Amino acid sequence: MTMEAIAPEVTAAGMTDDIAGIALGRRLKWWLPCFVVALGGLGLLGAAIGWLFYAGVGIWGIDWPVAWGLAIINYVWWIGIASGGTFISAFFFLMRVEWRTALNRIAESMTLFAAACAGIFPILHLGRPWFFYWLFPYPNTMGLWPQFRSPLLWDFFAILAYVVSSVLFWYLGLLPDLASLRDRATSRRQQIAYGALAMGFRGTASQWKHHRAAYGVMAAIMAPLVVSVHSIVGLDFAGAQTTGWHSTQFPPFFVFGAVLSGFASVLFLAIPLRRLLRLEPYITEHHLDVLGKLMLTASLCVAYAYLMDAFSVFYGAHPAEVTMFIERAFGLYAPVYWATILFNILAPQLLWSHRLRLNQPLVMAISLAVIVGMWLERYEIVVTSLHRTNLPSAWGVYHATFWDWATLTGTIALFFAGFLLFVRLLPVLSMFEMRELIGKRRRQP
Amino acid sequence: MRPGKPIWRSLDEHEGDAAFMARVAEEFPGLARVLAEGPDRRQVLKLMGAGLALGLGGCDPGDPKGQIIPGIKAPPGIVPGVENEYATASVLDGYATGIRVRHQDGRPMQVVGNPDHPASLGAADPIAQARILSLYDPDRSHGATKRNQPAGWDAFLAAFEQRRAGIAARKGEGLNILTGTVTSPTLGAQLARLQQLYPQMRWHQWQAINRDVVRQGAMLAYGRPVEAVYHLDRADVILAIDSDLLSAAPGHLRHARDFAGRRNPVAGSMSRLYAVESTPDLTGILADHRIVAGPREIHEILTALAAAILRHGALEPNTPAWIAPAIADLEAHAGGALIHIGPDQPAEYHALVHALNEALGGRGKTFDLIEPVEANPIDQAASLRTLIADMAGGRVQDLLILGENPAFTAPAAFAEALKQVPFSVSLGLEPDETAELATWHLPEAHPLEAWSDARAHDGTVTILQPQVLPLFGGHSAHEILALLAGDGAPDGYKIVRETWSKLDDAAWHRSLASGVIAGTAGKPSDGRLLQIGGPTLPAPTDRPITLLLRPDPYLWDGRFANSAWLQELPRPLTKLVWDNPLLIAPALATQLGVGNGDLVKLSAGGKVLTVPVWVQPGQAPDCVTAYRGFGRRQIGAVGKNAGFDFLPLGDGPLSIEKASGVYALATTEHHNPLDAAPEGVVRHGTAVAFAANPKFLQSPDPQASLYPPQPTGDTAWGMSIDLNACIGCNACVTACQAENNVPVVGKDEVLREREMHWLRIDRYYEGPAEAPRVLLQPMLCMHCEEAPCEVVCPVGATMHDAEGLNVMVYNRCVGTRFCSNNCPYKVRRFNYFAFARDEVRSIQSRNQEVSVRARGVMEKCSFCLQRIAAARIDADKEDRAIRDGEVVTACQAACPTQAISFGNIRDRASAVAKRKASPLAYALLDEINTKPRVTYEGRIRNANPAIAEDSV
Repeated sequence: MTMEAIAPEVTAAGMTDDIAGIALGRRLKWWLPCFVVALGGLGLLGAAIGWLFYAGVGIWGIDWPVAWGLAIINYVWWIGIASGGTFISAFFFLMRVEWRTALNRIAESMTLFAAACAGIFPILHLGRPWFFYWLFPYPNTMGLWPQFRSPLLWDFFAILAYVVSSVLFWYLGLLPDLASLRDRATSRRQQIAYGALAMGFRGTASQWKHHRAAYGVMAAIMAPLVVSVHSIVGLDFAGAQTTGWHSTQFPPFFVFGAVLSGFASVLFLAIPLRRLLRLEPYITEHHLDVLGKLMLTASLCVAYAYLMDAFSVFYGAHPAEVTMFIERAFGLYAPVYWATILFNILAPQLLWSHRLRLNQPLVMAISLAVIVGMWLERYEIVVTSLHRTNLPSAWGVYHATFWDWATLTGTIALFFAGFLLFVRLLPVLSMFEMRELIGKRRRQP
Repeated sequence: MRPGKPIWRSLDEHEGDAAFMARVAEEFPGLARVLAEGPDRRQVLKLMGAGLALGLGGCDPGDPKGQIIPGIKAPPGIVPGVENEYATASVLDGYATGIRVRHQDGRPMQVVGNPDHPASLGAADPIAQARILSLYDPDRSHGATKRNQPAGWDAFLAAFEQRRAGIAARKGEGLNILTGTVTSPTLGAQLARLQQLYPQMRWHQWQAINRDVVRQGAMLAYGRPVEAVYHLDRADVILAIDSDLLSAAPGHLRHARDFAGRRNPVAGSMSRLYAVESTPDLTGILADHRIVAGPREIHEILTALAAAILRHGALEPNTPAWIAPAIADLEAHAGGALIHIGPDQPAEYHALVHALNEALGGRGKTFDLIEPVEANPIDQAASLRTLIADMAGGRVQDLLILGENPAFTAPAAFAEALKQVPFSVSLGLEPDETAELATWHLPEAHPLEAWSDARAHDGTVTILQPQVLPLFGGHSAHEILALLAGDGAPDGYKIVRETWSKLDDAAWHRSLASGVIAGTAGKPSDGRLLQIGGPTLPAPTDRPITLLLRPDPYLWDGRFANSAWLQELPRPLTKLVWDNPLLIAPALATQLGVGNGDLVKLSAGGKVLTVPVWVQPGQAPDCVTAYRGFGRRQIGAVGKNAGFDFLPLGDGPLSIEKASGVYALATTEHHNPLDAAPEGVVRHGTAVAFAANPKFLQSPDPQASLYPPQPTGDTAWGMSIDLNACIGCNACVTACQAENNVPVVGKDEVLREREMHWLRIDRYYEGPAEAPRVLLQPMLCMHCEEAPCEVVCPVGATMHDAEGLNVMVYNRCVGTRFCSNNCPYKVRRFNYFAFARDEVRSIQSRNQEVSVRARGVMEKCSFCLQRIAAARIDADKEDRAIRDGEVVTACQAACPTQAISFGNIRDRASAVAKRKASPLAYALLDEINTKPRVTYEGRIRNANPAIAEDSV
C-alpha cells in the first residue's frame, strides 16, 4: 500500500499525456448520461426561477414568522461547500503542502460551481429581485447609499469578493495548463478555443515569474477571504437579536461548518472521479487519508461549536432562548437536530481508524452524511430559531414547498452540469504543478 | 378570493343578448340607445367615460339623469384633499349605533364612530366599519330580476302596479310584509299607514338573531316589553350569566366603555365581574371570576340566587363554593350590583333576573327600564310560524321581504313555503338565497345610500342620511312601502323628513350633523314587577349534549358573509378565520378522540352533518357551540365555500361521533395555544398584590445602554395600551385594516401563515384547559427606539424619523425580510404575493392617503403616519405645535373602551405621558432593551378574596 503523494512510476510526460488526453477528448462513457441528467435538472431550475420571478416568493414555504427558508439554507450550504476548495487550494499552497497539488484543481472547480449556486440564492430570495443592485453602493441621483450597519450588506460584499477572487484564482491556476492544451490540441477548434483561453501564455521565464508571483498573492488573498466570507455569513445571523441566532460564536462556528462540508464535498467528488478517470496514480490513498483526517478535525471543531451553542443558551438562561433550544432538541423539528449531531459529529468519528479512512465506500458515505448533515444544520439554525421566537403569540411552523425543493434540486444539477463540463473540457489536475512535484521528487528521491 | 364571475371583454360579445340589453337600458339609458343603433366605438367610450365620472362623483347632489358630462370643476363643497365626515348610523337587528362616514374628495371611504351618539361614544364595531366594504361590494345586486333573470325596474313597477290593484280590491287580504326588527319611526309609521289602507294586510317581523326571550322575560316580569338600559359605570359588582353585554347586546360599545372605566385600579375603584358562561365570550375574558357552566349549572346558580336574594333562605348544601361569597358580594353592594343574562337563556330566567335586580336595588342606578324601542314589539318566532303556515296554506298572495334573508336564516320550511307564494318580492343588497326563490328581487339601497331613521338601545333616534347616490340603482324599504301605498314616485328624503316634520330646518340640520335627534332617548318606565319572588324556573335540559347556536361575532346571521374584512377577522378566542368549526370542550375532545380540524358526524332530528371541530378551552363539557352565518349557499365571490350551516340540525337532541378525515381550518395562531404561556408577556396580577405594591409588575431597573438616547426633539410619538380595558373585540383591527389599506389574503394564505393585519390581538391562556384564564394583548409595531429591524436592513428601507417613528419606505424595500426575522414582536407583514392587487375590491373604497403596497415589500404599523402628517399640516398653518389629542390613530379612535392612548410623550401633560407614568406601565420584552414606544398597562384582576383561587 502506497502512502505516497504520488505514485512512484509517474513521469511528467506520462502524466501530462494522461491528463491532457482527458480534456482533449478521451472517450468517457459515463459522461453523456450524467450530463443529460444534469441538464434535465437545469431545466427544472429554469422553470423554478421563471415561476418564482413571475409569481413571487410566495410560491415558497416561507411565512410569518419563518420569513427565511430553503433559499437561505441552500445559500449557506453551498457557500460552505465552496470553502473546501479555497481552503485546500490557498491555505495548503501557502503552507507548501505536497499532496495539495493533485487535488487543488478539482477542489477549486468545486468551489467555483458551488459558489455560483450559492450566489444566485440571495437574489432569488429577495421579494423584489429586480432591485438586487440596490445593495451595491453605486452613485445615484437619489443620493442614497446602502445601510452599512446591516450584515446582509457585508454579506453581499463578501460574496461578491469571494466569487470574483475564486474565479480569478482558478483561472490563474489554469493558465499554464490551458497553454499546454493549446499546444497539444490537434483540431483547429480546440486550438482556437484553448489558445484564446490561454491568453498568450507561452511559458517564458518572465511569464512564469509573474504567474508565480500573482498566484502567490491570490493565494494570500484567498486564504483570509475564506474565513471572512463564512464569518460574515455567520454574522448574518449573529448580528440579529433573534433567539437561536444571537450568539457571538457564530462566525468561527460557521467557518468550522463550512470547512467540514468543504472537505466532505472534496472527498465525495474525488473518490469516484479518481476511479472514473483513472487518477489513482496521482490521487493516492495518501490523499484520502489526509482528507479524512482533515474532515475529522473539522468535525471536532464543529462538535465544540455545538456544545458551546447549547452551553451558552443555558449559561445565558434567557427564557426565550431556553424555550427555543428545548423546542429545537425535543420539539417538532427535533429529528433535524439529532440528525445533525449524528451526521456531522458521530459519523465522522469513524475516521479515527486508519483502516476505515482508506475504506473508500465508507468514506464516501460519511462524506455524504456530512454534506446532508450540514444542510440540516442550516435548516435547524434558520427554521427552528424563527419558529420559536420571543413572543409565544408569534410561534409558527414552516414547510418547504415543491418549488423550494425544485430550486434546491436545480442548483445541485447546476453544480454537476458545471463540474461535468469542467471534467470534460479542462485538465482535472494542475499539470504544471504536478510536473514540478514530479521533478522535485526526481531530484530528491 | 379570486373573482368568480365570468369575464367579458367587450360589449360586442353581449350584443343581441336581450337580458344584457335590458340591464344596460336599466343602468345606462344612453349607452343602450347607442348599442341598439349599432357599434360606434367613440360614442360608447364617451358615454362610458361619463358614466365613470358619475360613479366617482357620487356625492354630487345634482340629478344624475340630467347630467352625463364630467365636470372640469369639482362639485361645490368638495375641496380636493380636504376630508369631511357625515353622521349616520349602523343598524343591526333594528338597533342603531351612531357612526360617521369619512369622505375623501366626495367619496365615502371609512366608517368611524360618532362621539355624540350614546351607543357609540366615538367607537365603531367591526361590523359597522365593514359597511364601507359592502357599499362598494362588486357582488351587490345590480338591477331588478324576475325569476333570477334581469328584468328592469320599469317592468317591476308595471307588475307591482298590477298586483297593487288586486291588493287594494282585496283590502290587503293575502298581502304579507316581512321585515326584521323595526325601530325606525318612519318605517313604523309607514307600516301603520299601510295597515289602515289595507286592513287585511299582515306585517310579520322576524330575524334570525332576535331578542324574543328578552322581550318575553320583560313581559313575564313587568307585564309589558320594557327594555333595560344598563349603566355599567355605576355597577360595583356584576354577575353576567351567558351574557352578551360587551359583545353583541344592543349598546354593547357603550357597555364596554362604561365597564372599562371601572377596571383600572390606578384610575379609581375597580368593579368586580363574575361571569358564568357555557362558551367563552368577551365577557368571560374580562371576568375576575369566570365560571364554566352548562345549562344545568346555570339553572342551579339561578335557583341559588333566587333562594338567597329573593327568599333569604339557605343555599343547598352542594352549591358550588363560589356562589355564597358572590351572593354576599352582590348583597353587600346593593344599589351597585347588577345581574345580566344573555339572550340565549329561557324567558323565565330573564324574568327572574329582573326580580333579582329589583331586589338588589339597582333600578335607576345600575340600570333603567324604558318603554320599548321597537316600533311594534312582537313575538317574532310566533310571527314567522304564522307566516310559514299561511304561505304553506296558500293564504299568501303577495309577500314583500324587506332586507331579510329568511330562505337562509329561517328553518327550511320557509324556503319550501315561499315557492307557493304567487307574487313574492325580496328587497336585498345581494342576490341571496331568498332572492333566488322570490318572484322578484330588487336591489336594496345600501344603508349608506338611503334616507332612513333608527333608534339606539336607549331610544335615541338617528337619521340615516345617504352618503352617496345609489351605486347600483337600489331602493330603500321606505320607497318600496311608499310604492305599495300608491305613491308613484317615492322619495326617501321626503318620507323621512315627513316623519320628523316637527323638527324645523335648523333642528333637522343639527340632527343630521350630530347624528342624534336631541331629546329622543327613552323615558324611564314606571313598570312594577308582577311577582316580587320571580317566576318558577323551567327544569333544565336533560340532554347529554346541548348545541349552542350563536351568532358569529362578525358575520352575524350570515348577512355579512360576503365581507372579506369580517371573514378574515380572527375570532376573539379561537383566532379562526373563514370558517366555523364546532367548538367543543377539551374533555369532550379527549372523550371523542379528536383534535382541531378532525371531522365529526353530528346527528339531530334526522339530519346528519359532518363538520370539523375546534377544541375550545373553557368550554362547558356538556355544550358544543356553533356559530351561525357561515355556509351561505347563494353568495358572492368572497363568502363562497366558507364554513358550515348548522341550522338544518334544528334544536333537537344531538349526538356526536368521530368521523374520518381532517379539515383544514385557518387560524392566525399557528401553534398550540396551550403551549404558549403568557408569563412576562402579558403581565398581570391581583388587586391585592397591586394594593401591596403598585409597581409590582414593573421590571426592577431600566437596563444600561451603550447607545446614545434616540432623537430628543420636541415631539416623540408614543402609545400606551391598557390591558385592563382591552376586551378583544377587534374593532381596532378592522379600523387599522380600513385606514391603512391592509389587504385580505384569503383562507389559503392564512393557512400558509401569511395574514397581513398590522395590528393583532394576542390571546393567551393560563391555567387548566378546562377553565383557563384568558389574557389579551393588542400587538402592533412597538416603534422601538433601538429598533432591531432598522440595523439589519441592507438598503435602509426601514428608518427612524426625528419624532421616533420607525418608518417603512416601501419604495426602497427589496424584500430581504431580515427585519421581520429580527423583530422580537413579529409585527411586520410581508407581501408574499401581490395581495392588494388581487383583492376583489373597488379602488374607491381605499384610503387615498395611504399607499397600497406591492408584491415583495414589507409593511407594518406606521402609527397612522398620514394622520400625524395631516395634524402637522394643520398645526403648521396656524404656526403652533400639535395639540395633545389632535392625532388619533385609527385603532385608538375605534376602540370602544379607550384602551389605547397615543400622543407626544415628551409633553408631560399629554394623556399618553400620564398613562405611561402609571405604576402598571411596562415595556414588553424590556430585557432585550429595544426601548419600545408602545407600553402596556398590566392587567389587574379584582378577585374576591373570599373565593379560593382554585374553586372556580
